[in-house]
Amino acid sequence: MTTGEALRKRVRQTLRDQPYPTVTVLSSLLAVQDDMGYLTEEAIQEVARFTGTTINEVWSVASFYLNFRFTPPGDHTVEVCWGPACHLRGAQTLLHDILGQLGLSGEGETGDSHISLKLNTCLGACTQAPVISVDHGLMGRMDSERALKAIQGASHPRRRERRHSREVR
Amino acid sequence: MAPEVTIYIDGKEVKTTSDKMVLQAANDAGIYVPYLCYHPGMKPYGACRMCVVEVEGAPGTPASCTLPVRDGMRVSTGSQAVEGVRRTVTDLLLSEHPQGCLTCHRVDLCGPQDICLRHVAVNDRCIMCPKNERCELKDTTRYVQMEQHSPLTYQYRNLQIETRDPFYDRDYNLCIVCGRCVRACDELRGDVAIAFTERAGQALVGTSRGTSLLESGCEFCGACIDVCPVGALVERDYKWEKPVRHQRTICPHCPVGCQINYEVDRRERVIRAIPDLNAPVNLGQACYKGKFGFNFVNHKQRLAHPLVRRNGELQEATWDEALTMAAQGLAGHRGPSFAALLSPRATNEEAYLLQKFARTVMESNNVHVASSSPSSALLEGLGDVLGYQAGTNPIWDLEQAGCVLSISNNVTEEQNVVAVPVKRAVRKGTKLIVVDAREVELTRYAHLWLRPYPGTDLALVGGMLRAILDEGLADEAFLKDHAEGLEALRRSLAEFGLERVAAETGVPADQVREAARIFATSRPSAILCALDNVPAEQQRPCARALAELAAVTGNVGKPGAGIYPLVRGANEQGARDMGCDPHFLPGYQPVTDEAARRLAEGTWGRALPQEPGLPLDQLLEAARQGQVRVMLLVGDVAAHYDGAQEPLEAALQGLDFLVVQDAFLSPAARHAHVVFPAETFAEKEGTYTNVERRVQPLRRVFKAPHVPEVQPDWWTLCQIARHMGAPGFDFSSAAEVLGEAARVNPLYAGISYRRLVESAVPTCRPSTETPLPTQVEYSEAVYHGLMWPCPEASHQGTQRLHAEGAAAGQGPEPTLQNLAMGRIQEGAGGARVQGQPCLVPLDWAATPRSHDPQRPLLLAMGRVLQQPQRETEVVRGKGLNRIQREELLEMHPEDAAAASLREGQSVRVIASGHTMPATVRLAPGLPRGVVAMTRLFGGLAVQLAASEAADPMARVPRLDVVPAQVEPAGPPA
Repeated sequence: MTTGEALRKRVRQTLRDQPYPTVTVLSSLLAVQDDMGYLTEEAIQEVARFTGTTINEVWSVASFYLNFRFTPPGDHTVEVCWGPACHLRGAQTLLHDILGQLGLSGEGETGDSHISLKLNTCLGACTQAPVISVDHGLMGRMDSERALKAIQGASHPRRRERRHSREVR
Repeated sequence: MAPEVTIYIDGKEVKTTSDKMVLQAANDAGIYVPYLCYHPGMKPYGACRMCVVEVEGAPGTPASCTLPVRDGMRVSTGSQAVEGVRRTVTDLLLSEHPQGCLTCHRVDLCGPQDICLRHVAVNDRCIMCPKNERCELKDTTRYVQMEQHSPLTYQYRNLQIETRDPFYDRDYNLCIVCGRCVRACDELRGDVAIAFTERAGQALVGTSRGTSLLESGCEFCGACIDVCPVGALVERDYKWEKPVRHQRTICPHCPVGCQINYEVDRRERVIRAIPDLNAPVNLGQACYKGKFGFNFVNHKQRLAHPLVRRNGELQEATWDEALTMAAQGLAGHRGPSFAALLSPRATNEEAYLLQKFARTVMESNNVHVASSSPSSALLEGLGDVLGYQAGTNPIWDLEQAGCVLSISNNVTEEQNVVAVPVKRAVRKGTKLIVVDAREVELTRYAHLWLRPYPGTDLALVGGMLRAILDEGLADEAFLKDHAEGLEALRRSLAEFGLERVAAETGVPADQVREAARIFATSRPSAILCALDNVPAEQQRPCARALAELAAVTGNVGKPGAGIYPLVRGANEQGARDMGCDPHFLPGYQPVTDEAARRLAEGTWGRALPQEPGLPLDQLLEAARQGQVRVMLLVGDVAAHYDGAQEPLEAALQGLDFLVVQDAFLSPAARHAHVVFPAETFAEKEGTYTNVERRVQPLRRVFKAPHVPEVQPDWWTLCQIARHMGAPGFDFSSAAEVLGEAARVNPLYAGISYRRLVESAVPTCRPSTETPLPTQVEYSEAVYHGLMWPCPEASHQGTQRLHAEGAAAGQGPEPTLQNLAMGRIQEGAGGARVQGQPCLVPLDWAATPRSHDPQRPLLLAMGRVLQQPQRETEVVRGKGLNRIQREELLEMHPEDAAAASLREGQSVRVIASGHTMPATVRLAPGLPRGVVAMTRLFGGLAVQLAASEAADPMARVPRLDVVPAQVEPAGPPA
C-alpha cells in the first residue's frame, strides 16, 4: 500500500468519525486538520468525495480560512500578539528578538520544524500586555529574555497532543 | 406568473413582475445600466457594484442586480451620485487590471489599438490582451467615462498564464474576479471545475491547489469563456483574432442541435463558437465538441475540386466532367444493386433529395443514414408503442422531472447539453437512476446506480415493468384505457420474475424493485436511452419496453416526463423523418404501403420500388458479396460509422462504381470513382431536426475562400440527377427542396424555411451602442424553430407528443429568466394521453455471455470528469499537460478468485488489441463476468486537443464494452 493510500484511509476514518449532526465541508476540513495538524492534497480530495462536492469547492473553503494550513505545523506553536495594547507595551521589540532567535523573517516554521510562529492581533489579555502564547498557554508581561526562555522551554521532545481548536483557548 | 408591478426608471414607466430585480426590469425595458458581474441566466450576485442606482426615499446606492422591484419604486440610474460611485468602482477595478488600452495618452490617436508597442509598460500594452478591442470591461469603463488618470496605482500580479490545458488559456493577471465563470461552472453546468480561492485582496479564481483542469473536473464546455468580460479566459485557437461578423447556425456534432453564433474574421475564417444565449435548445450552453470542434471548416486539406478516377488514380476534374462521369456510372446500375448512404450531418433537404434520387432515379430503396448508434431500432421501437419514431419532450423539460432514468447512454459526452438540465434538476431534488455497467459521468449524481451485465437492459426494464404492475404503481387512467393491450403485456411479463431478472442482469432484485418504485412514484419521470451495448436483436424490444415503462406509469404527454432517444448524429432524426430509411418514405410512410407510395408518386411523377431495402449491416455484407455494385455516399459517412469502419471499407473496395460527396478526401473517398467537394455545415443553408423533433434553420456562416468551387450536397445531387436526365430535380435553393419535402411529409407539412427564419422573436435589449456581454450582444432574436408534427402553416408545432392543450403546443418554453430564478414552470400537468399508445408484449431474451475462451470477461470502460478518491498526477511537460496514474481494474470477487487474483495485484488487461497495466480492486457491486476501468475525461480532452485529424470531434472514442482477458503482470521483461 502506498503512503498516499494509508493517508487516505486515515482521512476517511476521521471523516466518518465526525460526531456532529451536520457534516459539512467545513466541519470535515476541521476534523482532518485536528487529526493531522494540516490539510494534505489527499485530504482535500477525500473531503470532496465524502461531501459529494469537487476538490475545487473544498479548496475554495479551505483557502478562504486562514485557520487552515497546508504544510505540516511545527511541534510547538508560539503566538506573538501585536495588537494595539501589546504594541504600545513593546511587542515590536519582542517580536524582533523572537524572530532573530528562531531565525525567521515572519510567520512560519523554523527550519527544524520545531516551532510554528504566528502573529496574533489580540490574545485577549491586554492588561497583561505584551502577551505571547506558547502551545496555547498565555504568558503576560513579557520581555525578550523571558519570552526566549519560554520558547526554549517549549522544546519538549514529546509531540504535542492535538486537540480540537475550539477546545483550546 | 408573479404579480405585475409598475416601477419608474429615470422617470420612464416600466411594467414588470414582482420576481424581477431592478436591473432585469431595466434591461427588459431597454434601459441600460452598466454591469460586469451580472449575466442573464445566472442568479443575481452583486459583486462588481457597477450597476448601482438610486432609489427615491431609500438611502445609499444599492446594486440594482440584487435589488428586487417594488410597486411604485422610483429608480434613478444616472444621477450624479450614482455616476460618482460608478467611477470609483471603475477606479478600484482598474487598479487591479491592466489599463493601458484606456489610459494611454495615445489612445485617441492610435485608432484600432493593435499596434501599440511602446507607450505603456509591457504588461499593460493593448496587444498583450487577447480580448483587445472586444473587452467588455473596456467598453463599460468607457461608457462610465472614467477619468484618464486613476489615483490608484496598478501593479501587475505576475501570475503564470495557464496554457497547458486543452482548448483554452487562463490568464488570471487579467481577472477582475466578477465570478461569472465560477457561477457558470457551478450554477449553469453543475461542475464546479473552478472556484474562488483565498479571500479578500488575494481572492482569485482557480482550481484546487492550482491543479490542472484535467483533474479538476472540467468538461471543457467553454461556458466560463463565454461569460468572461475580460481577457482572462480565451479559446486558444485563433486567440488573437478579431471577428468582423457573426452568424448563428446549428452545431453539427450531435442531435441536441445547439444554436451557436460563429465569429468570422476578416480573412473569412470561422474563428470562434459562442452558443446562443436565448436559443430554446441550449440556453447559452455548448460542449467541448461545439465550442472547440469547428476548425475543420477552415482546414487546408479540404477538397477544392471534383476528382475522377483516371487510370486507377483520382485526379482533378471539372465539375462538368465529374458530373457526366458520375451520371454515366450510376445510370447502368438502377435497381437494388444501388445503395446510398448519408452522413448524419447532412441536412433534411439533402436527406430528402438523396432518398428521392435513390427511389425515383435509381429505383432502389437501399438508402440509409450511416450511424454507429442503433438509431433505427431505437426509434422504431418507440414508434411501435408511442406511434411516433421520435423523442417526446423538449430538452429543458428535464429540469422539471421528478425522476430521470438514464439507461445505457453516455449523454455527457455524446449529447452533452441534454445532461445539463439533468444535473441541474438533481440539485433541486430530482431523483436520478443510472443503469449502466460503465461508470459514466451521470453516475456521480445518481441516487441509484444499477450495474447490470452489459446488454441485459431488456430483462432489467421488463423486471421494472413487472414490479410496477405487480405493486399497483401504474397510472390508473392509462390502465383503464388500455385494458386489452395491458393484459397481453402482463401475460408476457410472467417471464420477467424478479429473481430471474436478477440472475440475468446481476442486479439484486430489491434494487430493481427500488428503481421501479422511484420511477413510478416520482412523477413526472423521464427516460434517457441510447441502447449502448444492447445486442442488435434486443434493441427494438428494449426500446419498446422503455416506451411502455413511460406509458404505463403515465409519463407521456406531460412536461418533465417522456422519453429521449439519444441517437448520435446531428441530423439522424431528420434524415429518417425525410425517408432515408430502406422501409420508409418521408414521414414514416411504409414503402410497402400502396397508398403511401401513390401519394409520393403523385408528387415525384415516377413509380417507386415496392421492395424494402436491406438493413445497413446486411447491405454492407451484400456489397462485399457483390450484390450491391454501386454506391453513392453523401457527406462524411465513414466518420459516423466508426463502430464498423472495417466492414464499410471492405464493402466499398469491391464496388463497380462509387460516388462520394465529402469535404475531405476521407478513407471512403479514396475508393471512389468520382468525388465531389462538398460544403460543410457552416456554409450550408438547410434545416436540421434535433432530438426534440425541433426543426431549426442552418444559415450560411461563411464561404471558405480557399475552396471556392465547393457546392452544397443538395446542389450536387440535383446536378447528378439532371445529368441523368431525371425530372424533378430543378431546385434553386435548399428552401425550395424543403418546400417540396413538406408536401410529401405530413409531419413537416406546415414547416418552411422562410417560416423558420422569419418567426424569430427579437429580444428586447438596450441600444447597440451600450456595452454588453458578447453572448447577450449576439442573441438578438430567439429562433424557436418548429417541432413536428406541424401539419399546417398556421400550426405552432408540437412541443410534447401525446399531450393536449398548452402542454402540446408552444406553451411555456423555458427561458433563461425563470431558470435563473429557480422557478419551476407550471405546465399543463394533467393532460391526458391523446395518441393512444399501443402496448406490445415483451419476449424474454437472454443476453449471450461472452463465450470467447481467449477473452472470457467483458471490459466496461467508463469515463468521468473527476475521481477525487484516486491518486492522480498531472505531468507538466512540453505541450499539453497529461494525466498519469495507476489504473484500477474493478473485478467481482468471485471472478478474481477464479483467476487467482487478489486485491492490489498488478495485472495486464488485454482488450481490442491493446494491453493495459492495471491494479485489481475487488468490487462486489459489479455483475460477474464484467470488469470495469474508469478513466478521466481530461485524458480524452488532451487526446482531442492534440489530435492531428481534421475533424477530431467527429470521431470521439466511445465507451464500448469489449471482450477482455486479464492476466497477472509478470516480472518486467
